[in-house]
Amino acid sequence: MQKAYSNKKIIFTLIAPGLLMFVFAILAPICLSVYYGFTDFSGLGAYQFIGFNNYKELFGDRNFWMSLRNSLLLAIGFICIQHPLAIITAALLDRMGKRAEGFFRTVYFLPNVISVAVIAYMWKFIYNPNFGLLNKMASALGFSGKTNWLGSGMAIWSVLIVLIWHGFGWGMLIYYTGIKNIDPVLYEAAAIDGADNKQTFLKITFPLMMPVIKINVTLAIISALKQMETVYLLTNGGPGNETQFLANYLYKQAFSSFRYGYGNSISVIFVIVCILATQVLNKIFPKEE
Amino acid sequence: MEKKRHFTPGKIVMWIILAVFAVIQIFPLIWLVNHSLANNNEMFTSGILVMPETIRWDNYVTAFVDGHFLLYLRNSLLVNILAVVLVLLFSVMMAFACTRMHWKLSGVVMGLILMGMMIPIHATLLPNYIIYDKLRLTDTLWALLIPYVAFSLPQGLFLTSGFMRSIPKEIEEAAVIDGCGIYRVIGVIIFPMLKTSLVTVAIMTFLNNWNEFMMAMTYLSSPTWKTLPFSVLEFTGIYASNYAVQFAVMALTAAPMVIVYLCLSKYITEGVAMGAVKG
Repeated sequence: MQKAYSNKKIIFTLIAPGLLMFVFAILAPICLSVYYGFTDFSGLGAYQFIGFNNYKELFGDRNFWMSLRNSLLLAIGFICIQHPLAIITAALLDRMGKRAEGFFRTVYFLPNVISVAVIAYMWKFIYNPNFGLLNKMASALGFSGKTNWLGSGMAIWSVLIVLIWHGFGWGMLIYYTGIKNIDPVLYEAAAIDGADNKQTFLKITFPLMMPVIKINVTLAIISALKQMETVYLLTNGGPGNETQFLANYLYKQAFSSFRYGYGNSISVIFVIVCILATQVLNKIFPKEE
Repeated sequence: MEKKRHFTPGKIVMWIILAVFAVIQIFPLIWLVNHSLANNNEMFTSGILVMPETIRWDNYVTAFVDGHFLLYLRNSLLVNILAVVLVLLFSVMMAFACTRMHWKLSGVVMGLILMGMMIPIHATLLPNYIIYDKLRLTDTLWALLIPYVAFSLPQGLFLTSGFMRSIPKEIEEAAVIDGCGIYRVIGVIIFPMLKTSLVTVAIMTFLNNWNEFMMAMTYLSSPTWKTLPFSVLEFTGIYASNYAVQFAVMALTAAPMVIVYLCLSKYITEGVAMGAVKG
């Protein structure tokens, strides 16, 4: 039996297809990015090696820091707005009884199954100054209704709202599952001891949810770093670079400003930032089994 | 059978809070569908929802025909189903080799692939564009399928190897002693035992890739293999000033997944919850 389990040929055939795809689509491109990151390639024609110049420029690039700041803002938005609301909703939902729970869960998660392309353009219309939903609602409430939601100064908040809105159902669902996994005996015991709803939530639900909260916070920070699609369609980083995110910025540099080499150096830093963030978060929130 | 219902004030407040969130999540979508049925001038009136004088189904006809709906839907289905099948197959094969079989590099390979979960898709857009261009893979199915599979594989491997560790070894070991080959063990014993877990992997893979359009936009230029999001993306150019038609194409392209979701919502939400908590 040992022999069958250490047959090199079989192991090779089991590993090779997946590994090849991984190397071809992820590992090799990243190595190529490192290579192009040291050049001034425009995307066409000849190029030269310029050493670390791209990286030097990048660390002095306002838009690079702006992208990181926006990721940070988004992460804070997720953690301080989306997640508390999601936890409260999940805790309330837990008490509603089967039918209502199924209904609300379905509704909350619905935006997540709709393509980001549709979501982004829908919100672009919601923010539209002429026929957008928001301005119509504002004027119905007696305001001027002429706000330029995607204009300078406002745009980043409008982008954050879309992303917080879109991810709400996903976060809620995970918290809801976490709450469902809490042993009901604990609630019964609390009820016998005369605990009220608030006490039950703070003393039982919340502490027992900590592992799930840690997972969700990690996911939120990573997805804030990786944000691209919605921003690309909603503002493409504009006005100026106010709503820029790393992924969008590298894409813009390569395909709109024809600075393919510089774009690749951003890619490399982007990968490093994501790996570092994941490692740091795993250190802060070690997985308990 | 009739259950008594107690509507305490607390319960009513809970209902109201949940309903408010439900409205916030769902109203933009209702607004979208509503506007898709109006004519273009009606949406500049002051009401929040439009009462169209005649319901403009023809917006949907335009969306359906000029949005290449059937072609793009076929492409989306094809590439996503292929991706799911390959991810499941490769995940189980690799998970078996890494958790059950004995070889020196098993930890290294597993660690390498799992590192893929940290790597952002967007960091590969620029180099892959050059690679696919050189290999003449742009505008082919492969340009989508390969990265879709590769980027879903780390999570697939992570989930399946987790599940695989939790199923007992004795059954398969008995089969191997009786002379059953490894491939058959995987196909006949492992796959059926992992069935429910694989549903989770399939749902996560499908949801992620169904919504993907950055790679498709970068690697494809002709309509041959474009996927469903392109119906929406292209309309903003063609029908720049006809907003009603743009609303219709958005509602139309969202419809297939919404319908599938409403039918399978229990499985989808459970699958996502399981995948996300474990992953």
